[in-house]
Amino acid sequence: MKNLIKQKVMEQKILIVDDEAHIRMLIEQTLEELEDEGVEFLTAENGEIALEIIQKENPKLVFLDVMMPKMNGMEVCRRVKKELELKDVFIVLLTAKGQELDRQRGQEVGADVYMTKPFDPEIILSKAKEVLGIK
Amino acid sequence: MARVSLKNIVGKKNEVNTAVLALIGQLNETTWIEDENGKLLVGNSAEAPPSSFPVNIDNEIIGWVKGDERSIMIANLLGYLAQKEAEKKKLGTEVLNLYQELNVIYNFSEQLTQTIDPDIIAQLTLEQAIHSIPSHSGVIVLWNEEKKQLLIPAKSGEQLFKEEQIRNNPGVLLKIGLSGQSEIITDLSLLKEKGIIESDVHSLIYAAMKVKHRIMGAIILAGKNAEQYSAAHLKLLVTLALQSSTAIESAMLYEKNIREAREREEAMLRIHEVTKKFVPHEFIRSLGKETLTDVKLGDQVEKIVTVLFTDIRDFTTLSEKMTPEENFHFVSSFNARLGPVIRSNNGFINQYLGDSIMAIFPENPEDALRAAVGMQKAVHELNKERKEVGLPIIRAGIGMHTGSLIMGITGDEFRMDAATISDTVNTAARIESLTKYYKSPLLLSDHTLQFLNGQNNFHFRHLGSVKLKGKNNLLSIVECINGFDELQFERKLQTLPQFSEAMNSYHDQQFENALQIFQTILTNDPDDLTAHYFLTNTKKYLREGVPKNWTGTEEMVSK
Repeated sequence: MKNLIKQKVMEQKILIVDDEAHIRMLIEQTLEELEDEGVEFLTAENGEIALEIIQKENPKLVFLDVMMPKMNGMEVCRRVKKELELKDVFIVLLTAKGQELDRQRGQEVGADVYMTKPFDPEIILSKAKEVLGIK
Repeated sequence: MARVSLKNIVGKKNEVNTAVLALIGQLNETTWIEDENGKLLVGNSAEAPPSSFPVNIDNEIIGWVKGDERSIMIANLLGYLAQKEAEKKKLGTEVLNLYQELNVIYNFSEQLTQTIDPDIIAQLTLEQAIHSIPSHSGVIVLWNEEKKQLLIPAKSGEQLFKEEQIRNNPGVLLKIGLSGQSEIITDLSLLKEKGIIESDVHSLIYAAMKVKHRIMGAIILAGKNAEQYSAAHLKLLVTLALQSSTAIESAMLYEKNIREAREREEAMLRIHEVTKKFVPHEFIRSLGKETLTDVKLGDQVEKIVTVLFTDIRDFTTLSEKMTPEENFHFVSSFNARLGPVIRSNNGFINQYLGDSIMAIFPENPEDALRAAVGMQKAVHELNKERKEVGLPIIRAGIGMHTGSLIMGITGDEFRMDAATISDTVNTAARIESLTKYYKSPLLLSDHTLQFLNGQNNFHFRHLGSVKLKGKNNLLSIVECINGFDELQFERKLQTLPQFSEAMNSYHDQQFENALQIFQTILTNDPDDLTAHYFLTNTKKYLREGVPKNWTGTEEMVSK
């Protein structure tokens, strides 16, 4: 039996990477309405898994937490942007407030946007819509 | 209830989808799944299904499973899965709301740290409140305990609060504002009656602003819609109120401290200004200090200065004729005239001693001499005025001496005074008292003369030396004639050479010669009292002879 749901040829994927489950859930919840636009949500709880998923699934937008075990967000970003040179992946780095030095490092590793936690849900949603080209 | 669609549960490539497909495969019959609008989601549809089973969440149909009677199991399963998904979403929404609230409070906290102006804090708070709790209007009311008035440091939105009425009738709003309560009220009849709020306001939500021991005021928001405010809104408003209260209190305390510090500074400045009038600034400066507060016991400095004393002749007799009050006025106005003359000649008044003034000229003896001449002129003016009103004239004597002086702060820990200690002062005072002896208004010592710059417009007459009581050294006394009125000055100037000759003869005990010259002088200038004095002495010595060991020096028997 065939699944007759036609998958969008260029279905948009968003990858949420954070070692804290509640953050992953919160971001997904914030972007809930995008599900109706055919956006698929992927999650990863550490940098290694994130890298695998990015290479396999090619998400358009990645929310990447900086403080993670195994491989932190900065490293993931560097690999994706500088080593693998995946230009189509839009990376949003998330970090705790007060780590202002990270902003500069974020620039160095090629992050597209830098946000602090607690994040402003309105801003997360509007940025996602912007990157995915959804009104 | 969050919207859950059957499509999201089975429509995607996920585990549920795979399991359902497997289940349908197991049934070996035609079974398919549709959404609530009849759109096919999973499987292949056929014309007329034997049965249709709804997939429900809370009595709402989100789709259909069509097939034989066994399809009901799939329908129930999907219903259960949908229920779970709905609960998860509901929880997720609640958590997200909390997170947003957290974000608001976090940001607000940060904003509060950026300013110490209470009015700005109030405005920021109100803006944040209205942003997070959608309202048509809002105000912050604060009660100023000191001035006993109601303040409205911030307002926003439509004009639903009538400020005029509030100011005239603060009591009504104060009851809410100072109640210390936080609540949502919908019974607004009283407020509308008093005209405090517009009639189309449906509900108010307010939170008390409190710090430790007192109620400062409240944030009050107004809404026109029914059901506009919820318990969650109230909770948020209370949190904002709490944060802003402490911030505003701190800001006001800070302002108060700044104000008080400024007032203290101004008071200090005034005290400084006043002390200068009691302890001459020049004195303090000479000690190398700037203000009276810098000065300490034992501070001292030694300098060569000219000390000047002035005195009112026969003051005792004069004062007997006046009441104490008249006395005071008399001396006060005398001092008031001479003070400026001294100051404008680089001198400062060290002390007022009854009818006597002691002044110090730290720079140049010429300053003292100029001041003395100026003071004599001032006395002439005073006498003109006195004559006009029939008052007796005043005669003042001025004496000065130049020498070393120690200025310092003396006394004990609890009673200090600026003092000048030295022989120079004593000598100056003695010279001044000689003015009544020699009947000359302005005397100085030879020392002073020596310190004078050779080029000067002053004219002097040497009056010989004196041996002051209790001292061994001789002091040479000089008279300055510049202070006399025009006529007298001219005459004395003319007789100057003769006077000098006469004094020399006098000193050499050639009394006949001296007598003749003095008499000639007096013919030309009958008012020359000093010449008269020497004439008298000359006559005496001619008659009686000089005392044994007379060296031309006057022995001062009394001070």
